[in-house]
Amino acid sequence: MPSLKSLPIAGQPPRAWRSLDEMLAPPVPSRELGPEAPPDDATSRRSVLQLLGASAALATLGGCLKPPDEKILPYTRQPPEVTPGNPLHYASASVIDGRATGLLITASEGRPTKIEGNPEHPSSRGAAGPLEQAELLRLYDPQRLKVVQYRTQPRSWRDFLQAAVTRARALREAKGEGLRFLVGPGSSPLVGSLRQRLLESYPQAKFFSWSAIPLQQIHDGAQLAFGGAYETRLDLSQAKVVLSLDSDLLAALPGTLSLMRQWADKRDPAKGPMSRLYAVETNLTVTGMNADHRIRQKPTDVARFGLSLLGRLAAGVPALSRYAQLVQRFPLSAEDSRVADALAKDLMVAGRGALVSVGPRQPPVLHAAAHAINSALGSACTAQAKPVLHDSDAGPRALRRLAEEMRKGGVDTLVVTAWNPVYGAPFDLNFGKALSQVPNSVYHSLYLDETAERAGWVIPALHPLESWGDARAHDGTVSFVQPLISPLYAGVTEAEVLAAFLGEGDRTAYTQLRELWQTRAPEGFELNWEKWLADGFIEGSGTPPERLQVRHDQIFAAAMQLPQRETTPGYEINIVPDYKVWDGRFANVSWLQELPDPVTKLTWENAALLAPKTAEKLGLAQGDRVELGLSGPPAHAPVVIAPGHAEDCVTVAMGYGRHSEAEALCNGVGFDTAALRHTDAPWFAAGLTVTPAGSRARLAQTQEHHSMEGRLIAASTSLAKLKETSEGLAEHRGVPLTFHKPVEYPGHKWGMAIDLSRCTGCSACMVACQSENNIPVVGKEQVAKSREMHWLRIDRYFLGEDTANPGVVLQPLMCVHCESAPCEYVCPVNATVHSDEGLNEMIYNRCVGTRYCSNNCPYKVRRFNFFSYTSDYADTEKMAFNPDVTVRSRGVMEKCTYCVQRIERARISTRVQGRGMRDGDVVTACQQACPTQAIVFGDLNDGAAKVSKLHAEERRYDLLFELGTRPRTAYLARVTNPNPELA
Amino acid sequence: MAETAIEGRTELRPPALVQGEQDDGTLNKTLNAFIWEPPRRGWLALLGLGLAGTGLLSAAVAVTLAKGIGTWGNNIPVGWAFGIINFVWWIGIGHAGTLISAILLLFQQKWRTSINRFAEAMTLFAVMQAGLFPVLHTGRPWFAIYWLFPYPSTLKIWPQFKSPLMWDVFAVSTYFTTSLLFWYLGLIPDLASLRDSSTSRRARIAYGIFALGWRGSARHWHHYKIAYLLLAGLATPLVLSVHTIVSWDFALSILPGWHTTIFPPYFVAGAVFSGFAMVLTLIVPARRFMHLKHVVTPRHLEAMCKVMLLTGLIVAYGYAMEHFAAWYSGNEFEKHVFFFTRPRGPYAWAYFTQMFCNVVVPQIYWTRWGRTNIWAIWIGSLLINVGMWFERFNIIVTSLHQDFIPSNWAMYYPTWVDLSLLAGTICFFGTLFLLFLKFLPAVAVSEIKELNHEIHQGHAGISLHSPDRPLHAGELEGAVR
Repeated sequence: MPSLKSLPIAGQPPRAWRSLDEMLAPPVPSRELGPEAPPDDATSRRSVLQLLGASAALATLGGCLKPPDEKILPYTRQPPEVTPGNPLHYASASVIDGRATGLLITASEGRPTKIEGNPEHPSSRGAAGPLEQAELLRLYDPQRLKVVQYRTQPRSWRDFLQAAVTRARALREAKGEGLRFLVGPGSSPLVGSLRQRLLESYPQAKFFSWSAIPLQQIHDGAQLAFGGAYETRLDLSQAKVVLSLDSDLLAALPGTLSLMRQWADKRDPAKGPMSRLYAVETNLTVTGMNADHRIRQKPTDVARFGLSLLGRLAAGVPALSRYAQLVQRFPLSAEDSRVADALAKDLMVAGRGALVSVGPRQPPVLHAAAHAINSALGSACTAQAKPVLHDSDAGPRALRRLAEEMRKGGVDTLVVTAWNPVYGAPFDLNFGKALSQVPNSVYHSLYLDETAERAGWVIPALHPLESWGDARAHDGTVSFVQPLISPLYAGVTEAEVLAAFLGEGDRTAYTQLRELWQTRAPEGFELNWEKWLADGFIEGSGTPPERLQVRHDQIFAAAMQLPQRETTPGYEINIVPDYKVWDGRFANVSWLQELPDPVTKLTWENAALLAPKTAEKLGLAQGDRVELGLSGPPAHAPVVIAPGHAEDCVTVAMGYGRHSEAEALCNGVGFDTAALRHTDAPWFAAGLTVTPAGSRARLAQTQEHHSMEGRLIAASTSLAKLKETSEGLAEHRGVPLTFHKPVEYPGHKWGMAIDLSRCTGCSACMVACQSENNIPVVGKEQVAKSREMHWLRIDRYFLGEDTANPGVVLQPLMCVHCESAPCEYVCPVNATVHSDEGLNEMIYNRCVGTRYCSNNCPYKVRRFNFFSYTSDYADTEKMAFNPDVTVRSRGVMEKCTYCVQRIERARISTRVQGRGMRDGDVVTACQQACPTQAIVFGDLNDGAAKVSKLHAEERRYDLLFELGTRPRTAYLARVTNPNPELA
Repeated sequence: MAETAIEGRTELRPPALVQGEQDDGTLNKTLNAFIWEPPRRGWLALLGLGLAGTGLLSAAVAVTLAKGIGTWGNNIPVGWAFGIINFVWWIGIGHAGTLISAILLLFQQKWRTSINRFAEAMTLFAVMQAGLFPVLHTGRPWFAIYWLFPYPSTLKIWPQFKSPLMWDVFAVSTYFTTSLLFWYLGLIPDLASLRDSSTSRRARIAYGIFALGWRGSARHWHHYKIAYLLLAGLATPLVLSVHTIVSWDFALSILPGWHTTIFPPYFVAGAVFSGFAMVLTLIVPARRFMHLKHVVTPRHLEAMCKVMLLTGLIVAYGYAMEHFAAWYSGNEFEKHVFFFTRPRGPYAWAYFTQMFCNVVVPQIYWTRWGRTNIWAIWIGSLLINVGMWFERFNIIVTSLHQDFIPSNWAMYYPTWVDLSLLAGTICFFGTLFLLFLKFLPAVAVSEIKELNHEIHQGHAGISLHSPDRPLHAGELEGAVR
């Protein structure tokens, strides 16, 4: 038993307790001397014994709660699963706004070092988007909140529990009146059960759900169409004609990874008929970049276009005949109506293969209209199911109700586990002020952010990689979140915070989770539990789709209520979630800040995107600062001229302009869009004023030239011209004329193939490469100087003469491992040489940094350490490094290695198994992460390997073939499938 | 016929290379006067400026070494910029020295005598500036300084002999060594003369040490002449080889704008062009302030202008051929560089500066006025120096900033460190030169004396033929043609 001295006796005596009853019992008398001091009065035998007992209990608990002394000892007996140098993989999940993506996480010597998708998981299928992968850096972020705080004073979790119990007692008496919870959109069964129990204990308490990017309008649309809250499940594997109405299906965002794969599988002309994609949108999105036809509409006009299309379908689809007059009600321009007619015809022809998908920013009526179309066409690509989220109403509307209660003084205790509502809330709610007025507020957060500054108690959250939990995937599949590392800082999970109000603050998330699932599936639990955790999810736990009747009358009535045209004069504001920081919660992740936006290639900030014509009208050039004014205070933004943007509107991405000193990385980066968001119009609104501010900003874009100058760089062709193009490409592949004797590669001959038809530009590969290869982040100033370090970049070129709505082609480009490499012969110190398997290798410790290799590299894929970019890494950040890859020093050149460390690991493990390497044994990081499987790596000596087959395809060409470099990476020309009627 | 020709010759008789009635005594006095007189205010002021600039150079070097190449404006795609521009520029400037010392010696051009010491010193100091950059521009100079040399290391790794950068190391180090030896050998008789005429004990000891015990005996002179001639023979191929190899740094790459077979001759011509321009830039003020007009006569200046005109024309031909080859090849990348990036791209101003300074300006030397007007010579030579710097800027930066794949394209902007390195090396060069002028004879006194004797008494000097006749115009033109 630990001595009584181990108890902290100064200041507040610690009050540990085992149950609420104990806690609510009269407090143990205390004086300065602490619990061991005899009480002044009533020193009866009974009280002495009581005291003795209590002291013993407290002392025991004190010993239990104190973190154990840490001693570093070698394993005397090595745990069977740990071999130093061999990484371990665990299944877990990343949960963004309640949608789980199954992950497979690599841990090297006990520290997570790489996040990949779980190939078995339905919402990942092995892929992981930039956000999921970047969770790794959030784990190691030294700027995370480290201790519990009460009004900026550091406290302990036990202090909080004590306070919570006091509050709980009062609240319980009031039946929970004044107790409010503000949670993020969640699907966790554990949190769901806690919520239920909380409502049982506090009948008057209420839960509100908040996310700056809510799915509320989807649910409202389903309500309109089906009379209940439903979510639409998409299946693009059946799709022939897909219409995206502002629905960004092909960006690697929460819930899209499996769709991207299905879409890409339908884009190979050699494998069955290709699908066709139409996109109706305001700003060029990742989906729009990949669309066969792109229709630009002002944000408020997207719904009108959709309803007009519904009207056009009335003529050919009997079930939709009542909508015929929508064509007259929502007249389109001549060009748009030509496209809409062709599109309507195309959708009708596609029938079961037709799919209309509507983005979450669009009004409910458009969602309902899409349901009407999909159902009338008998689309096999959609199905309705009960939402996986606990609250279908999560967003500004719910937050407004809460804010009103708060302002009226109706909220006594507010527990916030939603991400940063003070930052994300529309300006008109003035949520920060309302929060300051709440007498008792608790905020559970990973960072000391804007909301934390105004909250009473701030409880550090555990990172998903440190915590236990569960959540549902997009199809309802229960997925488990498992810790891979013991918490770096004192934190708790959301479930533990909620449990504190049930008097169960001492029950860890693990206990709660296990008990919940034990009660839910008691049969064979132990075996199942092991399997679930090993798999990362419960197979077959998805919620089934339901057959529903579309309520056409209601939809029609709602459609007729949509104003015929926008009457407010002025420009329109169009607010979009950011591809990199989402709603701002990933803003402190340097990988994401430095990741070029897939469309604008802008890093380290957001900007006001304008169509070239609109910019011309306003007299604005790239980088000019403007003042954007709506009803709130103006926002100051730099201008980025965005070809393909709709005219007379301005698109801004949310998630920037944070004012959180603790999050030093993102503090003050970009501008905040909250002032442009109104609770009633959180996504777009008319009446925007754009005033040139007269100053200029230096933008950090990774690509500044967007034309291919007529060169064959990223080849793109249409299905109709495929044959012709392939014949042309034949002159751009194979072995060029040479004097030299060809070099033999008798063993392995590594090569890669990149299918431009599959690449959507989502940038998941870039983050995967950065994580796998310890690529440093260099900061905005360095990016502006064109010194970014990404080994893999995605080039984005505009095609065609039409700057208003150009075509786009994307090209991932990293070292192509030339067989006749121009970089090798110019290096004076032999620091870059060729391996016998054809890898162009870089020997970092031999490199003196003349940069001649980069000058002579026609692809310019080499990256130079102009400074020592890794020397200021915090100790925790260093834990994210991949131990298999050298961290480069200043003055050294680096570049893609074809993930040589993975080749070597596969070589070792196959040798241990006593066999040679087979196709699929080596998977590069970019290939692994790619949601569309656009990147394939393998042995070109193996004729049966997938990569060899791709190299033999007629769409294959070698980049800059005429230089005779003989790149090992081959590209497959992109093929689009435009509607012949619109050609 | 013959009669007329002889008459014409007499009329064309050029002005003497040593003006006025000079003897050894007056020459000794006038040519070394600057050394013995107390430092002048102007000299001190210039030295102060030079030292300040050298301080700036040290600061820029220190920052580069401490923080990295990131303090320069270089990026990807522009991996080389000011560092290599300055290197090539200074190496080019250094070419005049060898040409004047060695080639003109072998061709028996008498007018070289008054300027060879000057040019050699300039060469040496220019190569010293140039030598800074190859090491400094690397990412890890602490390794680059010896890993580029082929020595049997325990790493068992040799340098890459296929790399032109490797060849550069040999070319530049050989050039520096030979130039130093040549310069020093030529100095020995003059150092002895200074030793003998010095009034202070310290000067006598200092000059005495470096004079290596020269007594001016016939045996000394005999050995001296042989060594000098041998070194001249050794240095002669270097004039062609050094800049040829420097040009291979570019020509051997595959980058459009670099990958050009005309580079070696055009780089050598450009080097001589800029070297003579630098000699003129320096000698025009020096001959005035150091009272050397009697040995550095308008005839000398004119001859140098003619060399500049000739090499300028070769350079202009090089430019024309580059453009022609780009057009004739039909290669889209080449055409982009020569017909878009350079004349119409964002650095077009640099291109036109180069063209004006290197092609238009030297044309004034067709006229007698241009070759004899001291301001025309001096400003022209300055502009040529500027033009040659921009030529290298265009070759290096402009070619790199827009190459094969348009997504790579990016602009290059120099930083304060880049500008300080350029300004700093100019100042350091100036400082070395000022010290040279103050402590060593700026003209080869012994050779001038010899020339003076030749002119007046017809004594055989270093010449293999008997020079017992006055120089005629044809000879001079032969040298510069």
